[in-house]
Amino acid sequence: MNPRTRKALEFVLDNLVWFMLVFVLIVFSIFVPNYFQLGIFANIIEASSVLGVMSIGLSLVIIAGHMDLSVESVAALSAMTVGILFCSSGIGMGIQLSPQWLMVPVSLLIALVVGGIIGAFNGYLVVKVKMSAFIITLASYIWVRGLVLVISGGRSAQDLAPAIRWFGIQRLAGLPLTAWIAVACFVLFSLIMAKTPFGRHLVMIGGNETATFRAGIRVNRNLVIAFVLAGAIAGLAGWLLAIRTSGATANLGTGLLFNAFAAVVIGGVSLKGGVGTLPGVYAGVLLLSSINTAINLMGLPANFTQVIHGLLVLAAVLLDAFKQTIRQRLA
Amino acid sequence: MTEPLLVLENVTKNYGAIQALRGISFSIGKGEVVALLGDNGAGKSTLVKIIAGGLEPSSGRMLFEGKEFLAKTPAEAKAAGVETVYQDLSLCTNVDVVANFFMGREITRKVLGIPILDERAMEAVVGKALASAGTRIPSLRTNVEHLSGGQRQAIELNRFVHWGGKLVLLDEPFAALGVEQTRRGLEMIRQVANQGIGVVIITHIMQQAFQVADRIVVIRQGVVAGDVARNKTSPDAVINMITGETLAGAGPAG
Repeated sequence: MNPRTRKALEFVLDNLVWFMLVFVLIVFSIFVPNYFQLGIFANIIEASSVLGVMSIGLSLVIIAGHMDLSVESVAALSAMTVGILFCSSGIGMGIQLSPQWLMVPVSLLIALVVGGIIGAFNGYLVVKVKMSAFIITLASYIWVRGLVLVISGGRSAQDLAPAIRWFGIQRLAGLPLTAWIAVACFVLFSLIMAKTPFGRHLVMIGGNETATFRAGIRVNRNLVIAFVLAGAIAGLAGWLLAIRTSGATANLGTGLLFNAFAAVVIGGVSLKGGVGTLPGVYAGVLLLSSINTAINLMGLPANFTQVIHGLLVLAAVLLDAFKQTIRQRLA
Repeated sequence: MTEPLLVLENVTKNYGAIQALRGISFSIGKGEVVALLGDNGAGKSTLVKIIAGGLEPSSGRMLFEGKEFLAKTPAEAKAAGVETVYQDLSLCTNVDVVANFFMGREITRKVLGIPILDERAMEAVVGKALASAGTRIPSLRTNVEHLSGGQRQAIELNRFVHWGGKLVLLDEPFAALGVEQTRRGLEMIRQVANQGIGVVIITHIMQQAFQVADRIVVIRQGVVAGDVARNKTSPDAVINMITGETLAGAGPAG
């Protein structure tokens, strides 16, 4: 095999999920009536913003060789906190700040801090008490959702302050600002993972934790930061969720975790750690979202979505194994 | 012997009731190569981990360049100038050769105050280091998982030669190397020592110890069973020290 074909093949393998996304979009555009419209594509990006942001945090921790099952509940808690503080009906307290725009940074900061605290709690237990991240974050997944129920009393908050909702309404180049926030997050964290020592260290920790420790990398510190980031990013996802639904309900975002996992795995991140890139994850998120949109447009019952997502995850894992064998032949 | 670089005084390590090290005392001079020999379970790897900062001794003390020395983490040991090549390779197979070479010490340039990896500079350094050591690896951008055992070990060896430091610990560094690569490896060790760096090499192969070491230290059952200059002993005498049949030739060096 000459070097050029090898390089081309490696490029395809590295970006397989993007090719799949393009392929799926073309197929849907041809066979699904009304699919091929700018509005539909904008809708796909818009609909995937919350899931996308959440997948970033999840990916960071998984690439570092750990796990965070709590992101969904953390997002819900952040959304509920923002909802209770800044909603005017339901259980909302309707806090007003003047000037009005001040509510945006304040609510965002609160959402990030709520998420970050729970992330720090998870990270501390994983690093210091050396418990399995799976168990700890499973516990957090349960108790944080419980906390949402406790602080809301099972009721909901509606009518988020208009100054905050503005983000979900105001459009730039056809996309609401919330979608741009998700895109910006992907760009930012993709750069961090690919270009900074911190990102490089996370990947290496996911590959061989002992080796990185011996090499003098501060493994524990990096891991705690990864968990805090995952929590804070989940908080951001919660903030976006609150804007999108203009409030919060006690069961807000249920099921997002499994979609996030699906997106991460489809995006080429290995659950064993050390493998995967964030652009791939974004493609995974968009792939899920475009399939959902197709299902809606075809008028299939929404219940089919879950079946298809499950099959997609299976396909992604099989594809990953297949990619590995091809790569071994290449080497 | 030249000025001592590292001095160990009565270092012990207990795992509960089990005494892995029962009091180790010896020293390493600058530019000196010490071969650490001993049977399986004699405590060699434990000792290496204590010096390299993976493990804390139960008692005793170490002096590094005349100052009290105790590394709580490998990072502290590295900062002091102690490099270690472990028996089980310490490479991240999921990243490329360059990333492994610079693990934890990446070259960065600041963009808006944020450190950004300088891949080009790092690749140039690695290319140079590997070429001067005669190691051939098809592409520095291949992930290490696609390389052979020998190539992996070569990367580790070149890494320590490049970073140098003041003291190098090698825990069975040639286990996966072929004849020619081993010869090169031994040459590299001499080269490093000639720069005034102290080298401790753990090996099972008597021939290697006699080829490269200035001094041979034998550990048996957690104590120093022999500490002799290479030119004042013979392989047979060393084997006897290892197995504990006689103490012929034992005693302090020079």
